[in-house]
Amino acid sequence: MNILKIKRGLTVTFAALALAFGSTAAIGQEASQSLSSESVIETIKQRGVIKVGLSTFAPWSMRDKQGELIGFEIDVANELAKDMGVEVEYFPTQWDGIIPALLSGKFDVIISSMTRTPSRNLTINFTEPYAYSGLTIMANKQMTEGFIFEDYNSSEVTFAARRASTAASVISTLFPEAQLLQFDENTASTQEVLNGRAHATMHSGPQPHTDSRTYPDTLYVPFDKVWLAQGESFGVRKGDPDALAYFNTWIGIKSVTGWMKERNDFWMKTDDWKDQISE
Amino acid sequence: MTIFGKKLHWIDVAITLIIVALVLFVWQQIGSNLNYKWRWHLIPNFIAYWNEDTQSWVANLYLEGLFATIRICIMAGALALVLGFILGVARCSNNLTIRMLARTYVELLRNVPPLVIIFVFYFFLSEQIIVALNVEDWSRSIARSESSGIWELFFGDMRSFPALLSGVIVLGMFESAFVGEIVRAGIQSIPKGQTEAAESIGLSSVGKLRFIIFPQATRKVAAPLANQFISLVKDSAIISLISVQELSFVTFDIVVSTNAIFEPWITTALLYFTICFGLSLLFRRLE
Repeated sequence: MNILKIKRGLTVTFAALALAFGSTAAIGQEASQSLSSESVIETIKQRGVIKVGLSTFAPWSMRDKQGELIGFEIDVANELAKDMGVEVEYFPTQWDGIIPALLSGKFDVIISSMTRTPSRNLTINFTEPYAYSGLTIMANKQMTEGFIFEDYNSSEVTFAARRASTAASVISTLFPEAQLLQFDENTASTQEVLNGRAHATMHSGPQPHTDSRTYPDTLYVPFDKVWLAQGESFGVRKGDPDALAYFNTWIGIKSVTGWMKERNDFWMKTDDWKDQISE
Repeated sequence: MTIFGKKLHWIDVAITLIIVALVLFVWQQIGSNLNYKWRWHLIPNFIAYWNEDTQSWVANLYLEGLFATIRICIMAGALALVLGFILGVARCSNNLTIRMLARTYVELLRNVPPLVIIFVFYFFLSEQIIVALNVEDWSRSIARSESSGIWELFFGDMRSFPALLSGVIVLGMFESAFVGEIVRAGIQSIPKGQTEAAESIGLSSVGKLRFIIFPQATRKVAAPLANQFISLVKDSAIISLISVQELSFVTFDIVVSTNAIFEPWITTALLYFTICFGLSLLFRRLE
């Protein structure tokens, strides 16, 4: 009797489970079909708002003293919205979840210093690059004294990098023997190098140079070389050629007129914006 | 020697000395091993700053995040209480189907890590709910209108209302499983004789619960429920992963923007501690 009861209970439980998961999958599929059937450009125009997903990453996007978002990408997104004649709304997102959030329709476009890579391209589409920052190695002076490039590829050497970043995958390609520690943001990986728990890290943009100016006794940029400057692009959902066409045209024109380079130089090469943030 | 009106044994003094020595040792180790420039002066500005133009204090990221966390906890707590109450009663129902459905819900949510539940909910379900209810256009129209003040008091920036809603629903659902178990334990802790007595004087099943079981059970579940609420405040940090702009999320932003890592997280830890410890003192007094 008891066994019968348990069996019945289990059946009910499993039926409910199967129902729950089945309907979830179906809803997801329908949503992705309806998303791809119309261009996000039309949605943006109708809504009067472009929703931009980003993950804060100095100096691409960061918070100023008033807690407002500033940075190269904020300038880009504001200019884009201005040219489209719409307002802009930002969706600060954790880096790990930024692609799933785009896919599930939380925002229209990723503008977040995302490097285009073949593996990411399997899931989302990329525009033409609007910046080419590439990655630079930053190392701990004492720990890597006398190191040549080949010395970094050893099981004795530890790298730190941001999880799921291009840097993490480049490190494992360039230095397959080295250990790799992964963190949620770049500040943590820099701190590991500062504390001597990792020999080196790899960051994009001007970060390695600014960090080694802040800690000149410990940090330095050992190689005057930039890896994988394959370009930062907007990310859009697949199946939307109109959106790709519009963003590509926009990026093309902004690059030709020199606007993109001027803004990029301002944030990446000068310190003129430093008084806006707390340091 | 006496302290707080109690006698202090030499063992107490020894334990205190050992703890103080340990703390000093750890502090000294951090100081010598950690290559870090402490910049505590960055923090106050992120709590609130003085606006020269309007001549007033303006809440910055920390306070905004703190208020968001408080709002989320109150709303999710209310939701968890309602859902949990229904679940608890359903778990004690005489009907097998109702009992099994409630059991399925509770076991499913209790035996999957909160992080996984949150991701499944956020990436698969929440967008459907938000689109179906047209929440986004509605909240945006309020954000643009003149009279958004009262709404923002309750829900913060209305533009991020859809994210807040997702966070509140998923947190409320997750906590409701635990509240349901507390309510069930409360109901079942009432001796069977009480139920039988209620039946013998001819009370209906609703009346039985209302007049006999609940008045007694409420006293028993108050303490564990209070405890569960404190744990909800701590659990709320996890919804920073679905981009709800609460205390933990703004801390990530502050870390990235200032390049300081320890000060922002220590400040956040203190803020959470203040809320939770304050609540725990409050609940103890109420009991």
